[in-house]
Amino acid sequence: MANESTKVDETGSLRPRSSRRGLWIGVAVLVVVVMILAAGFATSWFGLTSSGTNTQTITLSGQGSTFALPVISAWSTQYQTLTGVQINYQGTGSGAGINNIIAKNDDFGATDAPLNATQHQQNPSLLTIPESLGAVTIAYNVPGIPSHVNLTGPIIANIYLRLITNWNDASISSINPGVTFPNLAIIPVHRSDASGTTYCFTDYLSKVSAQWASQIGTAKSVSWPTGEIGGQGNPGVAQAVVQQSGAIGYVELAYSLQNNIAYAKVKNAAGSYILPTLDSTAAAAANAAGALPAGDGDWSHVSIVNATGADSYPIATFTYLLVYKELNVFPSGVMTQARATALVQFLWWAVHDGQSTAGTLQYVPLPSSVVAGDVTSIQSITFNGQGLPTS
Amino acid sequence: MTGFDRDARRHFKNVAMMGLTVACIAVALIPLGSILYSVAVQGASVINGSFFTDVQPAPCSPSPLAACSQGGVANAIVGTLLLLALSCLIAIPLGILTGIYLAEYGRGPMVGGVRFLADVMTGFPSIIMGMFIYSSLLIVSPGRVFSLLAGGLALAVLMLPFVARTTEEALRLVPNSLREAALALGLPRFRVTGRVVLSSAREGVITGAILAMSRAGGETAPLIMTAFGNPFMATRLDQPVQAMSLLIYRFAASPYANWNALAWGTALILVIMMLGLSIAVRVLLRRRFRERRIGA
Repeated sequence: MANESTKVDETGSLRPRSSRRGLWIGVAVLVVVVMILAAGFATSWFGLTSSGTNTQTITLSGQGSTFALPVISAWSTQYQTLTGVQINYQGTGSGAGINNIIAKNDDFGATDAPLNATQHQQNPSLLTIPESLGAVTIAYNVPGIPSHVNLTGPIIANIYLRLITNWNDASISSINPGVTFPNLAIIPVHRSDASGTTYCFTDYLSKVSAQWASQIGTAKSVSWPTGEIGGQGNPGVAQAVVQQSGAIGYVELAYSLQNNIAYAKVKNAAGSYILPTLDSTAAAAANAAGALPAGDGDWSHVSIVNATGADSYPIATFTYLLVYKELNVFPSGVMTQARATALVQFLWWAVHDGQSTAGTLQYVPLPSSVVAGDVTSIQSITFNGQGLPTS
Repeated sequence: MTGFDRDARRHFKNVAMMGLTVACIAVALIPLGSILYSVAVQGASVINGSFFTDVQPAPCSPSPLAACSQGGVANAIVGTLLLLALSCLIAIPLGILTGIYLAEYGRGPMVGGVRFLADVMTGFPSIIMGMFIYSSLLIVSPGRVFSLLAGGLALAVLMLPFVARTTEEALRLVPNSLREAALALGLPRFRVTGRVVLSSAREGVITGAILAMSRAGGETAPLIMTAFGNPFMATRLDQPVQAMSLLIYRFAASPYANWNALAWGTALILVIMMLGLSIAVRVLLRRRFRERRIGA
C-alpha cells in the first residue's frame, strides 16, 4: 500500500486520479459482490440449484394473531423437520391477518376474533378452523398483595369504565378477605392495536356488565374511556403493567407467566374464583363448544367466554385459522397443486399431531368435538374442484 | 492591577465553560455507552457457532417439559445482506444521478421541486415507504406482495433522497474554478462532471451512500409490510425474507427466553456491522486525505 501511494505521488498530478478512481470503483463493486456471495454461499445459491432438481421447497405463508404466534411458530419448526414444507407465519395482529387473507396476500390467516357477519357475507368461501385455545389473564402490579387475588367480571368492567379507580375500593376488598389493599390509584392498560385479545376481553365484559355492553361493546378495538394507557401487542401491555405500580392489564397467559406478573382468579358463571390454567381453559371450551357452526358458516357469534361449568375459566378464546375453501381463488400462478396439497396436509397435521405441542406452550389442546368439526372443514377444501389428500 | 484581575477572571470563565462542555459531552455519551455496554454484555453470551449457521428456533422457555434449542439467526443475517445489496444496487446509482442533476444540470423550478421533494422524503416516517411499496405491489403483483424484492424496493425508496441530497451537497463543495479550468481545456461537459467534479467530490458521495446504507440496515418499519419476515432461509426475489431488524423487533417483544436471547445477540451483530461500515469509510477517507496532502 505504502509503495503504491509513493509511486502515485511520483507520477505527478494527472495520472493518479484515474488509478484512484479505479480503486474506488473496485472497492464499491467488491463490497456488493462480497455481500451477494456471502448470502449466496450461506444458502444453496439463490434457490436456483434447488429448483433445478424436483425437490423444490414448498413454502406457505400466513399472518395474524400474536396470541397464536408462539404455537404456530413451534409447528412451523416441527413441520419443516418432518416434511420439509416451510410454514412462514408472522404475528402482525388479528386485524392484519383477516385483511391479508381477504386480500389473498397469504395462503392462510390466523385470528382470535371470528370474522364478523359482514366479513363473512363478503367472503363466504373462507373457512374458519379453530386451531388452539388460550386464556386471557387479568394481570396487575400492586405491591404487597398476593399474586392471585379474586376479581369478578363486573369489578373488572367497572375498573375499565373508570368507575372503580382505587385498589382500596370496598368492592375489591370485600371479595378478598384477609388481604389489605393499598391506597393506590388503578391504571387500566389496554391494547392500542386491533386485537383478538381485546375482542375476547370486551366480549367477556359485555356478557357480565350491561353498562359495558351498552357503553363500550365488543370489538377488536373499542373507544376506551379516558385516563387509560394503550400498549402495542400483548408484549406492550405486559411491559406497561410491569413498569407501573397500580396498573392492571389483560394479556395472554404465556405473557403473564414469562414476565412473572401477578394475575387474578376470576369469578366464573358458576360462582367460583378460577385461576387461568390449561385445565380451566379446556373446561371452558368443553362446556361451550357443543354447537359450533360448520367451517364455512357464520362464526361471528361464537364465544367461549363466561362458560358454564364449575371449573371453567371465564375469559378464554379459540384462535382460528382462515383458509379458502376453493384454493384456485388466488391470482394465477400463485397456488399450485403441490402447494394446495401441502396446505391441506399442514392443517390436518396441526389439528391432530400439532395439538400435543400446544400444551408445552401454555395453550390448550382442542377438545375432540372441535377436532371433528375441523376434520370436516379440512376435507372440504378443494383445488380446481378436486379434493386434496390429507396425508 | 485591573488587567491582572481581568486575566484571572477570564481564565476562570474559560475553565468553567470548558468544564461545562466536557460535562455536556459526558452526559451525551453516557446513554450511548450504556446502550453499547448492555447490548455487548447481553448479546455476547448467545454468540457462538450455531448463532451464525442455524436458522431461528421454535419459541421456548426452559422448563421441565421442554429443552430449548438455542438456534441461530443465519436467515436474518443473509436476509439483511440481500436486502441491503438489492437496495444499494437500486438507490445508489439513481441517487447519485439525481444529485448530479440537481447540482450540475438542473435549471428552473424543476430543481427546486425535486430538492424540496427529496428533503420532505428524508423526513417521512419510514413506515410510509413500506406502505407505498405494499400498496403499489397490491396492484402490480397481487398474491405475491411479501418478498425480498418488495423489501429491497422499500429500503431503496428510503435511501434514494439521502443519496441524492448528500451527492448534491458534495458536488456543490467543488470549486467552480475547477469546472471552468476543465472546460477551458476543451473537455466536454459530461467528462467535466464525471471525471473532475464527481471524482473530486468522491469522499462526500461515498460517505453519503454508506450513511444511507447504515440507516437502511437498521430500519424495521418499512420491512413489516414488504419483506415480511421468514423463519427459514430464503434467498429468492419473490419470497419473503427475514431481516435482522425485524427479528429483533419481534423476538425482543416475545415472552420466550430463547427468542429474547437471540434478539440481544442479533442487536449486537447489527451494531457491529453498522459501526464497522462507518469506521471502514472513515479509515478509507482518512488515508485518501493523507495521500492528497502528501501529494500537494
